[in-house]
Amino acid sequence: MTTETPAALEVRGLSKHFGGVRAVENCSFTAPEGKVTGLIGPNGAGKSTAIDLISGFKLPDAGTVVFGGKALEGLPPHRISRLGLIRTFQTPREWRGLTVLENVVLARWDEPRETFWRGVLGLRQAHRETTVGELAEARAILEEFGLFALRNERAGNLSGGQKRLVEFARIRMAQPQLVILDEPMGGVNPVLGERMALAIEAFIATGTSVIVVEHNLPFIERVTDHVVVMSQGSVIASGPFESLRSNQAVIDAYLGEMPTYEQPGA
Amino acid sequence: MTQYLVSVLTEGAVFGIMALGLNVIWGWSGDFDLAYYGYVALGAYMTLVLTIGRQPPPTKYILGLTLPYPVAIVLAVASVMVLAFVIGLIALRHLRGIYFSIVTLGAVYVLYTVAGQFVPLFNGYQGLSGLVNPMADVLGIDFNSYQYFLLGFAIAIFLLVYLFLSRVSSSRFGLALRSLREDERAAAAFGRDIYRLKLKAYVLGAAIGGLGGALFATYVTAFNTTAWTPLETIVLYAAILVGGRGNIRGVVLGVFIVIVLIEESTRFLPEIPGHPNLALDLRPVVIGLALILFLRYRPQGLLPERRYVDPVQEKAKPELAR
Repeated sequence: MTTETPAALEVRGLSKHFGGVRAVENCSFTAPEGKVTGLIGPNGAGKSTAIDLISGFKLPDAGTVVFGGKALEGLPPHRISRLGLIRTFQTPREWRGLTVLENVVLARWDEPRETFWRGVLGLRQAHRETTVGELAEARAILEEFGLFALRNERAGNLSGGQKRLVEFARIRMAQPQLVILDEPMGGVNPVLGERMALAIEAFIATGTSVIVVEHNLPFIERVTDHVVVMSQGSVIASGPFESLRSNQAVIDAYLGEMPTYEQPGA
Repeated sequence: MTQYLVSVLTEGAVFGIMALGLNVIWGWSGDFDLAYYGYVALGAYMTLVLTIGRQPPPTKYILGLTLPYPVAIVLAVASVMVLAFVIGLIALRHLRGIYFSIVTLGAVYVLYTVAGQFVPLFNGYQGLSGLVNPMADVLGIDFNSYQYFLLGFAIAIFLLVYLFLSRVSSSRFGLALRSLREDERAAAAFGRDIYRLKLKAYVLGAAIGGLGGALFATYVTAFNTTAWTPLETIVLYAAILVGGRGNIRGVVLGVFIVIVLIEESTRFLPEIPGHPNLALDLRPVVIGLALILFLRYRPQGLLPERRYVDPVQEKAKPELAR
């Protein structure tokens, strides 16, 4: 097809085995640019491992990951992040002892301003290398997420839902080309869910493509343009959410067969 | 009494420097390093072998130079940085938490045993001595006033280290180190090279420890293996914990309480006949008790790490945002 949107991320033949367990097996999919791609599948389908492989937290046994024309496999996580691919984790990973504002400001990585000698020789006050403009930007983002009043609070004191919002605020600050959200709805109430859906729309509007891994299918239906279904380490189907409702492979994977137990020694 | 006060304050300044260095590694970067006193010891040993010259046999040690004292300190600190770099390169690559601690504990016992058993290095368990009043001749300071000079010198170095670290603390570099302490996977996900940052902090902290060791050797004029057991590091940890991990003011307060008050006050306990070392042996008990009580009731210490409070009060105006 020539009308296809360019790919933000292209995964080909990704595999990872742990001992005899094939966590990810020949997994291939494409996440189009400027769209929200859902990644779904039953527990143990290999979604989390696939994300770890893409973001460099685990090394793949085989396969390629192409992002913005560059091969990512083998690169360490910080290098992948610097290229513009940022991921979140299943549990919110805020920097607990730092304030909410610091959490957001630190989301933007800038090597020259973070070197040791700059820190010692810099002349400005407080986080003297953090420019006024950057702080203002962080405040505006916090206000957008309803966190402005909490900006001086230590992030560890926030509620679970608020921590999720801090994570979204950090991504807004980092402005990556692609973000992978790993189960953003985990432990979040439905009201906050709508807010997150709007935040995902805002990511797209600001030029960040999104991959979202989620078990909450109504949420997937609400936010995604395109869904990839994984089961037993491989992609078994992909397409718009509607088209998957009648897909037999997806129904089998989700409902599955009853597992048969063999009695030891029987 | 004045002499006593001078010696206590000098000691306090020296231990203050050591604790500030350890705070970089544990307080900011978050690594519970047990090799730390090895860096203090190497700083002390190197200062000695670079200044005291050759001594008659059977005393044996490397170098035996008579370099000017400030040059010797710089070289001693540089050698500590090399050692810390090598140990950090190995220990920080994949190990965290208790595993990192175990490896650094192993490293420091290797150093300790080598320093004690391998006589040609630093004269074995006998250790080194003879660093008497460096710079006194050059500056024309007589024997009686030298202790005041040394106090002033130690306090000056302490203040320099303090000011230097207060700059580091409030910089983006310091903030990035804290993010590693809080959650390093998230730090990596937002572009931080964990290994490099931790290694930088480790070498920086060890260098300050080596500087403390150099001053310690000057203060006691000698150094040997009985002057340092690897577990001395724990006393520094106790000071940081009581004062406030991560907060350099707290660390200084902790050194004052744990090292100056507790260590010195036990000196004044009445001696019980038949138990000459009772007061001395009680110190670790008192420090241990303080540690347990603080861990239980005030783990953040007396002066917890300060939050950065945004000076801007009113809500962000939209035009400020890009």
